[in-house]
Amino acid sequence: MADVEASKSLSGLLNGIAQKVYYNNSEITEELLKDELYPELSQEEFKALHEKMKALIKSIATADMDPSQLEAFLTAQTKRQGSGGLGAEQAAALSRFWKSQRVRVRESLLSQSRWEPGLRGLSWRVDLHTAASRGDAAHSGPVALMELELGRAGQDSEFVCLEFDEAKVNQVLKKMSDIQESIDRIVHRT
Amino acid sequence: MPALEESQGVNKVVDSVCKLSPDLLTETCRHILFYLQGQTKGVDSAEISDEFQRAGVRCDHEALQNIIRFLLLTFRSAGKSNLSGDDLVKRLEEGSSKWPKASLQVLHRLWSEHGASVRAQQEVESALSIGQLVDMQWKLGMAVSSDTCRSLNSPYVSLLLKIVEPSGQICQKSFEMTIPQFQNFHKQFKEMAAVMETV
Repeated sequence: MADVEASKSLSGLLNGIAQKVYYNNSEITEELLKDELYPELSQEEFKALHEKMKALIKSIATADMDPSQLEAFLTAQTKRQGSGGLGAEQAAALSRFWKSQRVRVRESLLSQSRWEPGLRGLSWRVDLHTAASRGDAAHSGPVALMELELGRAGQDSEFVCLEFDEAKVNQVLKKMSDIQESIDRIVHRT
Repeated sequence: MPALEESQGVNKVVDSVCKLSPDLLTETCRHILFYLQGQTKGVDSAEISDEFQRAGVRCDHEALQNIIRFLLLTFRSAGKSNLSGDDLVKRLEEGSSKWPKASLQVLHRLWSEHGASVRAQQEVESALSIGQLVDMQWKLGMAVSSDTCRSLNSPYVSLLLKIVEPSGQICQKSFEMTIPQFQNFHKQFKEMAAVMETV
């Protein structure tokens, strides 16, 4: 019974740490985690546990460990003597945690390392201009309007609106197939 | 009216504009001003050509296009520079000594009437800021490692767009996409091209 409880508390702690460190959940604080999950521990005891688990998660996340790397890592940790060591139950909880959260944590790390704006959204429509002489070039025929929504993590979006005639669209398509070709070559090699 | 070969400077065009009767000049300018005010979708040179014919004036297609282009540029820049009717006339006189008084009076009157509406439309258009793509550069990169993750191993596509805005200014926008995002972007573009073909 106690083991199941201990297990649940530890899983809760690990998820709480992920929420705070990787998923930007500002509602989760160390105090909240202690009150909810480990009310019986002293402040120092909880702090030690919290720091230890956080460090382990960070090591696992930084290396983006696959299942076999994770197993080797956790086994090594359990073999450590003294307070640095990890109990078998704790290792199991970490293993379960990483199995379910690996993708999401990785996404978070990827977006942290992305400093250019990303493409948040895209919409387009095609108009038909029938009159001549708008601007410099005589324009008759279909005109495409595309709106790109760009933004950096945590910042407001910027909307960029572009218009294209058929010639321009074809030019862009040509470049896009060049890009796709490059992608295919890389995927082929790996 | 002799046909205009190539635009050897503005003077040839000014010559042909100067030769228009005040009525014909008024009519032609109205077409252009209605367009610049945002009331019509474009300047229909065929319509203007019909009016010339009804007035008994011969004007070949290219000469007419040059006249339209000249008037468009004149009124458009008058709007952007916030010129008054007097300023506009002064500027035209500086450009050529051949302007007949009657023509200048027509232009002064029309600009005083329509100038404010043209400027208002120009402001609306620059707020909408629909740009045109001048150039697109791309880069396929691989994020290898960062200080928060030693093993990122994440390919991405980075695009640098050079865009010319209605004001004439060129700006750069860059952004990144994951591979799946890029492939969706590519797909949307192909769909757009397909629709354009059928329209």
